[in-house]
Amino acid sequence: MKTACIENKKMSAKEIIESYKGKPLRIMEVCGTHTHEIFRLGIRNILPDTIKLISGPGCPVCVTPVGFIDESLMLALEHRAVICTFGDLLRVPGSKMSLADSRQKGASIKMVYSPVDALSYAKEHPDKEIVFLSVGFETTTPASCLAVKKAKADGIKNFSLLVANKTMPEAYKILKNSADAFLYPGHVDAIAGTSVCESLVKEGVSGVVTGFTANELLTALAVAIKLSEKGKPFFKNCYPRVVKSEGNIPAQELVNETMESCDSEWRGLGKIKKSGLKLRADYKDFDARTRFNLPKIPGKSNPACRCGDILQGKCKPTECGLFGKICNPQHPVGACMVSNEGACSAYYQYGGNL
Amino acid sequence: MEKNITLAHGAGGKQTSMLIDEVFKTHFSNPLLTADDAAILQIDSGKIAFSTDGFIVSPFEFPGGNIGKLSICGTVNDLACMGAKPLYLTCAFVIEEGFPLTILEKIASSMEKTAKETGVKIVAGDTKVAGKGQIDNIFITTSGVGQLAEGISLSGSKACVGDAVIVTGDIGRHGCSILLSREDFGIETSIKSDCAPLWGAVEKMLEVTKTLHVIRDATRGGVGTVLYEIANQSNVGICLDSKEIPVSGEVAGVCGMLGLEPLYLACEGRLVVFAPMDEAEQIVKTLRQLPYSKEAAVIGEVTSEMPGRVVMKTEIGAKTLLPEPGGELLPRIC
Amino acid sequence: MCVGLSAKVIGIDNGMAIIDASGAKREISAELIKDLEPGDYVMVHAGIAIAKITDNDEDETDEIMESL
Ligand code: SF4
Repeated sequence: MKTACIENKKMSAKEIIESYKGKPLRIMEVCGTHTHEIFRLGIRNILPDTIKLISGPGCPVCVTPVGFIDESLMLALEHRAVICTFGDLLRVPGSKMSLADSRQKGASIKMVYSPVDALSYAKEHPDKEIVFLSVGFETTTPASCLAVKKAKADGIKNFSLLVANKTMPEAYKILKNSADAFLYPGHVDAIAGTSVCESLVKEGVSGVVTGFTANELLTALAVAIKLSEKGKPFFKNCYPRVVKSEGNIPAQELVNETMESCDSEWRGLGKIKKSGLKLRADYKDFDARTRFNLPKIPGKSNPACRCGDILQGKCKPTECGLFGKICNPQHPVGACMVSNEGACSAYYQYGGNL
Repeated sequence: MEKNITLAHGAGGKQTSMLIDEVFKTHFSNPLLTADDAAILQIDSGKIAFSTDGFIVSPFEFPGGNIGKLSICGTVNDLACMGAKPLYLTCAFVIEEGFPLTILEKIASSMEKTAKETGVKIVAGDTKVAGKGQIDNIFITTSGVGQLAEGISLSGSKACVGDAVIVTGDIGRHGCSILLSREDFGIETSIKSDCAPLWGAVEKMLEVTKTLHVIRDATRGGVGTVLYEIANQSNVGICLDSKEIPVSGEVAGVCGMLGLEPLYLACEGRLVVFAPMDEAEQIVKTLRQLPYSKEAAVIGEVTSEMPGRVVMKTEIGAKTLLPEPGGELLPRIC
Repeated sequence: MCVGLSAKVIGIDNGMAIIDASGAKREISAELIKDLEPGDYVMVHAGIAIAKITDNDEDETDEIMESL
């Protein structure tokens, strides 16, 4: 009985998508995990020609600038710090090499599941300097903040963060003409709440908060299509089982207590005002840049790499001259090829013709 | 005798003979294993299969096995994949100075047990000791000879359009158990490596059908990698049905936490079998009665579409390419 | 941007929760969610519970489709 009705509903969301014949729609999935799931489920292959899905900049690895990798390498190789990082960052190319490459040069790079684990590692190894590479959007930032807050409370002296955390609101504004509707990143909104996305409606920006299961993705797409047909800017939370309109208030407070807003460099998009975070002055002892007195490192990316245009939906990965030839997942040139969810990597892995 | 391996154990003198007598001879003894320079073997007429494999694994002990068991299973399974009954093995050890003897004992005893289970004899061996820090604990290389049954010819290039793709059990346990014991991700599971000798399974399959096309063990790179290899070797397309792929709950849970795909996790006791679709049911039924293949299942079929590629039918009924595996498996968070 | 895992809370102790995702267990921080109890479901990211959730995506998507 139950299964029958699930089938029905699944069909109907899928049918709405498959049978859409209205005016052409550009829908941007902002979040890289959405990109990944959309490819994994083959959702692109059921879309009619009238719907174009664009992969946006929501992969922290893809938007992290070359200079950040160079800074981490300097910490690992010159300051002999143990670098703790999410696995995602390991293969991102810096100016000269990636963190994975630096292991051959004696760098000590440790993968962790959580920043809090990096802190535990620091406690267990008081003789070593531990630096956690703090990247990510609203969803991931609270974990870093929690680690740094605990480190301060426990008087830990050998733990610091190299911060490149980013926030979405200003990026939405920059991207607003790149798509007719956005699939908003469900887990960002689980922390941040929906007010920013809701208020974008006033600026003519439409979108739906989207979850990550097959059901949730199809439903959100179907809703975006249906609401687009009405012709007015819209917002709908299609992921209320996880996302509340006010978000996660204790998490917001924690971030606010430990970090403050700053301008930030996005690989491909350039500098965006008020789109990044840095540690507050109270926590400067835990800021790896201060602690190790790091110089400003500009970082050089390959000029032929078109990650920037791709992130803004201005071109497809296949339009980059390096795609598939010089640049592939084994030898990524740009960040979009590194992360599994990067647009170039996804195109490469799932067939450039998709 | 000292409690740890010293360089003297590898120098060829008295210490070496002691090590051989007390550890290896005790566990591997059989009439063919002598003190002479080479083993003299009787091979019946017909064809033999001959294979070799080197083993380094960190950590060398893991839930469900150790490097010793792995080194026997690896070569036994390589022979079995060709349809050859494993008969004789040789093994060469490179051991790091300072390696505890008790653990070496344990490794040798696992090797003995696994070899006995398969009915294969260890007929020659070698031990070298490397200085501290030159290698990571212990490396083992095994080579093996197997007798090919009459009329059997299996190869990765023999997959045919219309074949069923069968896997002999739930996938990814070995890769998962190694990853969790190597990195401290703080994840608790009862996942054990699937490491197992599979000649028994092959022997039984050969009893029920003579038309097996391909057998391959899904080791490094997992089932996904093997499927790509075969799709290329046979120049055919492979279409998998995502819901038929057996994955244990715990492996799925770990993959969910770390953003990994079970199809790329290594197995050490799982075969991928290609055989005509009308034989598939019988093969799966046979496999399910055996100890290491209770979860055997048909997971897809060979098609003429997109030769060289593996396509997945997904839970929403769409088709998508399975990304070609490559590189180190990196857990992802974002 | 954020791989999330929905999992069941099976124990709570001093701001930490043990979660179970089809048999794989891990300790995570529960400090950012008020009043978490064993039996609740949470969305986990980077070792932190980021939201208390209901486990069934199908009921929810059913409802959303209804409302269209
Ligand atoms: S294919 Fe490579 S070089 Fe080209 S845009 Fe993508 S990541 Fe950059």
